[in-house]
Amino acid sequence: MYRRIILLTTRNRSGISPSAEHSINITNQQETKRISVSTCPNRQRMLYNKGVCAPNKRPFSTSTAISKENEESSAPKTGVTEAKVKEKEPKKSGKENLLDLLSAMKVDVTTKKKFQALKSQKSKEQPRVHPESMESATSMFQKATTEQQAQKESLSPELIAAASAVASSMPLKKSQMESELLQQLRKHESDTEVHKKAETNNIGNIIADMKVGKHPNARSPNRPANQIRFDDDGRGYTHDRGVVNEFDAVRRRKSLFTGKRLNIFPSTTDTTETEPKEVSVPSLWDIELAGQIAAVIKHLPRNGFEEMIQWTKDGKLWQYPINNEAGLEEESDVPFHEHVFLDSHLEDFPKQGPVRHFMELVINGLSKNPYLTVKQKMEHIEWFREYFQQKEEVLKESEAY
Amino acid sequence: MSAPGVRAGFQLLGSTRRLLHKLDKCAVFRNYTGSSALNQNAAPALPAGSSEEIVLPRKKKWDKIAVLQALASTVNRDPTAAHYMFQDDPYLFPKTSAEFKLYSLSQESGRNTAKYIINTYPKYFQKDYAEPHIPCLMPEAFEPQINDISEDALNERIQLRQVKAAVDIFDQLIQGGTTVSLETTNKLLDLLCFYGDRDPVRDDQPEHKEADEVEAVQEDFQKRQKGRLRKASDLIGVVWRENNNAERIFNLMPEKNEHSFCSLIRGMVKYGAYTKAFSMYADLLNNRMTADVHTFNALLAAAPNTREKYNEKWELIVETLNQMSEQKVQPNLLTFNAVLKSLRKCGSLARTQSLQTLNEMKALGIEPSLATFDHLLGIFYKAASSVRGPTDMIFEVLDEIEGKSFVARDPDDVYFFSNAMRVCLDLKDVELAYRLHQLLGEGENWKLLGDAFQQSVFYGRFFNLLCMMEHIDMVMKWYKDLIPSLYYPNSQGMMDLLQALDTDSRLDLIPQIWKDIKQLGHTNKADLVEEVLALMARDKQSPEVQASFADCSLAVKSVYEVGDRGRTALEWTASALGNITFLLLRAGRMQEAWGILQLFKENNRIPGEALLAEFLECAKERRDNDLAIDLVKLAASFSLTTTAKFASRVKEEFLLSEEQKKSLEELDVLSSDSSGSDSDSDSE
Repeated sequence: MYRRIILLTTRNRSGISPSAEHSINITNQQETKRISVSTCPNRQRMLYNKGVCAPNKRPFSTSTAISKENEESSAPKTGVTEAKVKEKEPKKSGKENLLDLLSAMKVDVTTKKKFQALKSQKSKEQPRVHPESMESATSMFQKATTEQQAQKESLSPELIAAASAVASSMPLKKSQMESELLQQLRKHESDTEVHKKAETNNIGNIIADMKVGKHPNARSPNRPANQIRFDDDGRGYTHDRGVVNEFDAVRRRKSLFTGKRLNIFPSTTDTTETEPKEVSVPSLWDIELAGQIAAVIKHLPRNGFEEMIQWTKDGKLWQYPINNEAGLEEESDVPFHEHVFLDSHLEDFPKQGPVRHFMELVINGLSKNPYLTVKQKMEHIEWFREYFQQKEEVLKESEAY
Repeated sequence: MSAPGVRAGFQLLGSTRRLLHKLDKCAVFRNYTGSSALNQNAAPALPAGSSEEIVLPRKKKWDKIAVLQALASTVNRDPTAAHYMFQDDPYLFPKTSAEFKLYSLSQESGRNTAKYIINTYPKYFQKDYAEPHIPCLMPEAFEPQINDISEDALNERIQLRQVKAAVDIFDQLIQGGTTVSLETTNKLLDLLCFYGDRDPVRDDQPEHKEADEVEAVQEDFQKRQKGRLRKASDLIGVVWRENNNAERIFNLMPEKNEHSFCSLIRGMVKYGAYTKAFSMYADLLNNRMTADVHTFNALLAAAPNTREKYNEKWELIVETLNQMSEQKVQPNLLTFNAVLKSLRKCGSLARTQSLQTLNEMKALGIEPSLATFDHLLGIFYKAASSVRGPTDMIFEVLDEIEGKSFVARDPDDVYFFSNAMRVCLDLKDVELAYRLHQLLGEGENWKLLGDAFQQSVFYGRFFNLLCMMEHIDMVMKWYKDLIPSLYYPNSQGMMDLLQALDTDSRLDLIPQIWKDIKQLGHTNKADLVEEVLALMARDKQSPEVQASFADCSLAVKSVYEVGDRGRTALEWTASALGNITFLLLRAGRMQEAWGILQLFKENNRIPGEALLAEFLECAKERRDNDLAIDLVKLAASFSLTTTAKFASRVKEEFLLSEEQKKSLEELDVLSSDSSGSDSDSDSE
């Protein structure tokens, strides 16, 4: 949804006059009613333009997580941007302006005054911007290119190179292919950008605002409760609200946690020394308290899988394999080399001769056997050791030992 | 949680181009959902899209139940089905709350019986088939293995929680002149204090064994879980007796440490010897020792029971807290929950002090649990005392906890939801109830709803509120969603629903509701059944609705005739009979209506005048002279005062044959006679 903002700014840049943009917004606003979510920012922006009323802030707060993670990915890009700017000397001023513009727009989005200033700034640039995009329009898809230009600085050169490499592998329409690829990429770029910028907006403020806005709504339904408190469906007592009602808003604390405290305990900041918790055996009391808490939230399984979880925890069920080592509890601590390199166990055997040869073959086979535990392999070797020791005399006679 | 992770993994595997495409989709999708879980999983994929280098996704730690958890999260509740535990036997799907209780308890009791047999006769269950070995299927050792008199034997009995046997061994050891180590004695003291000097009940033990004692101890444990309902009888169960074994052993101990004192204090508080606990605490201080945090928690909980006046109670609490602070004991969540719980007994003081307590928690960086908020609500919305004027506490609490996921940290945590819903109900605030219900869906919060009883209380209140305030369509939506998978409404709940139907004039749904009423086993509640009939009979409806009402009324009639599942049948009342007749008449089912009319006589009930008038109207419409005359006859047989009026009406409005007129006149005479005799008897 933020993409719309970017597109609109780029449209500005490509020479559409502010009034034209305005009209677009108005038509969009009517769509908004039907489509609601996706075009929401438009309406919002619209409201800013007119300075009508406080905006619906919800779209900004939907997911801060996105912006957070996007931050890292977009961080290297600013460096790239500068490189790009240096590379293309003639376009420098225009791009810097645009950058300013973008950042200014995102940061100052809350105040009407600054937005107007921004607008005038935009309109100043426009004549300069337009010819620039004309001169860089090498392909026939002019509109696409203008947008591309507007955002080019935010893409990393490697990526562009990769895209052009892909494009050059195509026999025909290389430039079109490339631009399409890049365009696709930039969709995310613009998203990233907006989220990043949106975060610089003081989110705390927005949230605080939201709360205040929501509160009266949530409270309004209890007004009727007062009016019908003499209903016979009451539960025998009613809450005595009366004239005081009007002062509710005044009396209301901002949150639960404002006001005096008991001031009995020193706050944690000055008692830095953590309790020397003697690691003792938990007493019966501790065990039972833990058991009691566990018991109150113990619920019967709600479906077959939860029942299987319960069984797994009880140890009744063979656990569901989650990696290749399932069922290897016995061997879980044994490193692989003990399985594979068994030469060290041949020290008691003769250094050469047929027995040695035989045993080497044995350990070769064992080292490739995944089905035996190390212990079993040892026993196997041990058996041969004993066997050959018993037959030592025979072997010596036949000079095989 | 893990399912999106799997998807992210697939995306990484795909070719670059496909990845780009997917990412685009993903980005759009994310804007709509705003779910942070999804985003975190998609995070490693994003840089991969913007450059060629391979960025490895963060390693995910799996445990053995991860896959099952992921699978379990895909299963939603089936609103039409009974609880999963009844899945095995469709015949035993509970349909009423009583059945639910019975069936679930019998299932549990079956398990316990099996366990009891295994544990009682372990020698028959030694064969271990399982490979690898499954410990929980093997019999548990409940019999002590060491039979001589030694400290080891004592330890073993403590381990097995055999209170009496342990005390015996201890006494024998002392008599034999052996000194028992401090550690072991403390353990024994723990055991004695925790179980109040009684043998605990094994989970699998049949209850008839030592019935009275078992009950007493078990009650205690259950009540703590069941809530305040039986609080009063709590004290009757096990009480701290003067000079019981715990005190005796405590006094016998040559040296005592803090642990011994603390354990004794906690035991005293647990079994209601509050004043004694405080004097024991004084002893502890005199011995220049300090108590631990749990002991303070116990003392704080006991504090209000040792003083009479509200301000004295609070002073004692503050004093105790001050001593905690002096002794450098760091309070924990349970400390403050105990303070708040005690504040509930402090009347008017509670409001201001509870907020200060909360701020103290905040200042100490102790995260409140649901029990904290429950106590707050309990303080601010005291039943039957509205002297203090309005409060917004519930809103503040909900603002605070909305969207948070809680884990149980206090045994009282499970009372929050049902109590908060009570407040919503008292305020008649549906929005608030929805918010609360929303909170329940957050994370693992549903686990904190408590046992089946708490759950039915919560949903009962919720449903009651919905019926009262919400539009009928929404009510029906919730009705279908909650019943019977989560909640079995009681007859009052069904009554509320009927009223909601009435308010929004959707009485046409009544036949459907009646089926549910029957299913829920409320057909033996006379007032509910009569309400159904009265609502159906009150107004005239469209023909189709009337037809369905008539069918329904016959279904209702059967309830009066045969008792439901062996229960005694309801007794006919005049209004019920009248309403059924009305309904049948309106559906044009004269024959059946006439049949009902006969029932009046059989049950010694008298039909109302309006009913007979309506009947006459129907007869007139059908030009059924015989019926009209029968009707007058019937009226005469009931000696109704209006018989004459009916007779004259019949004469005027019907085209009667001579014979019919004659019989009517006979009746007229008869009735005037009877009415005359009536008036005679009246005058006498």
